[in-house]
Amino acid sequence: MRRAHLLGLGFMTPALFIIVFLFLAPVVLTMMFSFTNMSSGTGISSGGAYEVTERTIRLLKDQGFPETTADRLAEDTYKIDAAGLAAVQADFGKAFAQEIEAELSGKSFAGRRDLERELKRLKERPRSTRDLKKAADLFKRSILNTRFETEQAFLTSVDELDLGLGETETAELTRTAYTGWVWTTENYRLIASLPSTLRAAGNTLIYVSFTLAFSIGFGLFLAVTTFYLPSGVATTFRTIWFLPRILPPVIYVMMWKWMAWDTGFLSSFLAHFGVPPRNWMLHSDINAWVVVVLINGFVGASLGMILFSSAIKAIPETMLHASEVDGANRLQQIRYIIMPQLRWPILFTTAYQTLSLLTSFDYIYLSTDGGPGKATEVWALYTFHTALNNYGGVLQYGLGAALAMVLVVIGIAAALIYLRLFNFNDLVAKPRIEQ
Amino acid sequence: MSILVSKLRQSTAAAVLALTTAAFAGDALAKDLTITVWAGGSNDSDVYRLDAIEMAADILSREYAIRGEELNISVEKKRDFAGWDEFRQAVTLAAEAGSAPNIVVTSHLDIAPWSQSGLIVPVEDYVDMDTWPINNIYENLLDITTYNGVVYGLPQDAESRPFFFWRDTMKKIGYTDEEIDALPAKVEAGEYTLQNVLEDAKKAVDMEIVEEGYGFYPRVSNGPDYAQFYQSFGGELMDKETGKLVLDKQAMTDFYQFFVDAVEAKVTRKNHIGTEWDQWYAEVASGKAALWHGGTWHYARYTGKEGLDDFFGNIQFTLIPAGNENGQANTITHPLAYLLTKQDNEDDIEIAAQLIKIASEPRINTLHAIKSAHLGIAREQSNIELYANDRWAAEATRRLLPYANSQPNNPNYGKFSEIMFKGLETAWTGTKSPADAVAEVEAEMTAVLGDDLIVR
Repeated sequence: MRRAHLLGLGFMTPALFIIVFLFLAPVVLTMMFSFTNMSSGTGISSGGAYEVTERTIRLLKDQGFPETTADRLAEDTYKIDAAGLAAVQADFGKAFAQEIEAELSGKSFAGRRDLERELKRLKERPRSTRDLKKAADLFKRSILNTRFETEQAFLTSVDELDLGLGETETAELTRTAYTGWVWTTENYRLIASLPSTLRAAGNTLIYVSFTLAFSIGFGLFLAVTTFYLPSGVATTFRTIWFLPRILPPVIYVMMWKWMAWDTGFLSSFLAHFGVPPRNWMLHSDINAWVVVVLINGFVGASLGMILFSSAIKAIPETMLHASEVDGANRLQQIRYIIMPQLRWPILFTTAYQTLSLLTSFDYIYLSTDGGPGKATEVWALYTFHTALNNYGGVLQYGLGAALAMVLVVIGIAAALIYLRLFNFNDLVAKPRIEQ
Repeated sequence: MSILVSKLRQSTAAAVLALTTAAFAGDALAKDLTITVWAGGSNDSDVYRLDAIEMAADILSREYAIRGEELNISVEKKRDFAGWDEFRQAVTLAAEAGSAPNIVVTSHLDIAPWSQSGLIVPVEDYVDMDTWPINNIYENLLDITTYNGVVYGLPQDAESRPFFFWRDTMKKIGYTDEEIDALPAKVEAGEYTLQNVLEDAKKAVDMEIVEEGYGFYPRVSNGPDYAQFYQSFGGELMDKETGKLVLDKQAMTDFYQFFVDAVEAKVTRKNHIGTEWDQWYAEVASGKAALWHGGTWHYARYTGKEGLDDFFGNIQFTLIPAGNENGQANTITHPLAYLLTKQDNEDDIEIAAQLIKIASEPRINTLHAIKSAHLGIAREQSNIELYANDRWAAEATRRLLPYANSQPNNPNYGKFSEIMFKGLETAWTGTKSPADAVAEVEAEMTAVLGDDLIVR
């Protein structure tokens, strides 16, 4: 390898680092998550535990687990026996163990609380509540509501109960008692069958196509019109239209809200013409869509405007002068000279904005939050709500990851199609300068 | 000489040993600890949810000092979450990152999922449940913080969610004072139903006493309140036998239809959901709305920040009326609870447990109850003057609490309530008809809840 190549590799390292850690790793992790049932109920990092609870018992019975065995698992038994006494002696001293033996030997208790009450009467008892509970736990002879961190510990305790479980029953019990996440393809089945995902997909289509059309169209309009203005005025206008992009989103959306609320600017203004006040952002689906498209569209248009303007500037002025000599009017100039030159920037902006719109939801989240009635809840926002943010507090990381994967796949597919469509190799011709 | 050296060595060794022991003993005695407590859904008037822990820390340190141990607890308090969504997100993600707050004040509904994931630990493992003040807490409240037969948290407050009437508006549409005073009894008996609510709200709008959309002015976001309306039409949230969640299609349709009717009658705004809370409070506390519903704690907001001087002279309150003959008047109590999160150091959990126990002291809890207009958690609170002399606490307890039920502790209830509310929103805003919305709810619930759902 030549040294120059090594140098090149050195320069590439930061980029590689970014691609691997900020793109590939998240995608791989998302893909892994998407094949699990992770949620706030299962936890992510804790790794799960094994616990038989009242709910487990109900589930087991539903699945046809032998009734009598399930009932035995549901027992909460504390028994004063030799093993327990020995354990107490080891942990809390002989005197306490002997007192328990004298007072309670052979007795059984249903639940720790009853035993605790008995132990509290004894003189030699430990004087801390927690130690008393620990002592009581040494007599526990059932597994209800005990959390086992490992499968091995759980199975050992189940064995001690002597339930005579077969292999399949043990497996069923272990599976049902497991509280952590498991691998599954259920999320993708859910996505295919839920009505709400279908609606989110439809909403995304509406959102992307309308916003894209608006931002490209309006960006183009701004670029062309400001091109024909004197440069000072043009710069002023461009700066104004660039504001939506540089304003912090929260403030930008807040201004929209002030404008659109039923006590806002628009309603107050229209009141002069006899229009009853209403919330122009959330009154109907159509209102919400108009606002969502405009909020995002203006942000997109400002980027388009900058790109198109610079592309127009690159057109040799002589061509325009020549066309004027030939008697072309402004519209003809735009149609035959400017537009053909803008092919590449337009395609680029379209591609870039399709991809970014697919995954963006920040402005929608801040403005309508998907309302009214989920009419503007796009796929990305739906994903966010499912995985990370909802009132019920059940955060479904697995399902959310699967939803995000769908976007990743669509994004990659769209990117490939665009590359093909633009014929990237033609656009970027081979340099004529020799190496 | 050698004896001297050896003596010297011995005494040095003894001194070193003594010093080390003293140093270690000192270490063991002085314990510095930071207890973090986060509270969800808490406004300015709810500060005692957090301050109570601080007061408890003071008492606990004194108890330790008497026993000869030095315990310095600093309490870090946080309640500035944008909403319940953000609070739950914050707690869950902090726990995943291994930095969960020691104590969370949250809805009892979080117990089911969080106990499964091991985010929280049972309080009954750390404190003696037979001692003061836990033995004075109402059993039905402790039942609500119990899941799978294990007491996970201590109730932090109690409340219930009444229906409100603006007296002046009611008079203008033809009610006499006596009739308004008789409303609670009529609602309870099922003689005044949600159909009457629509009629009265419509009268108020038609007679231009209130503006369009202000006849009936419901809660602006998802919440337990909406489950009440489902119950008003005969819906049941959980099947008592099996512990499964219940989708009663007829009740759900009727419940959605009621809100659609309200919109069509122009007594409720189509885009009502998402109204700002501040705007909403200001409007209902000033008589801009004729009928509405809320929570017992609204009393503090109306008479405090919103400046309503004479609550009882302006507002009547009742249970949520029955919807039709299938259901009955009801109200939901949705107590918040002090929950303990799992920590690496068990001693920290124990101290946190002792703190929430002391914070449940009737006198301390009364500060919260009266300041925030919540209801008490313990019997003895009625013997504390601050509580006993408060008219709102007394009347609301008597009129509402005997009829209050709570939402089920089921790990899937969060999903259930999300889907139910989404369905309501799509019907309310006219995106779908009630029947179609319920069909979607059914499809959605069946897919998401699976065996945990009974469809009727």
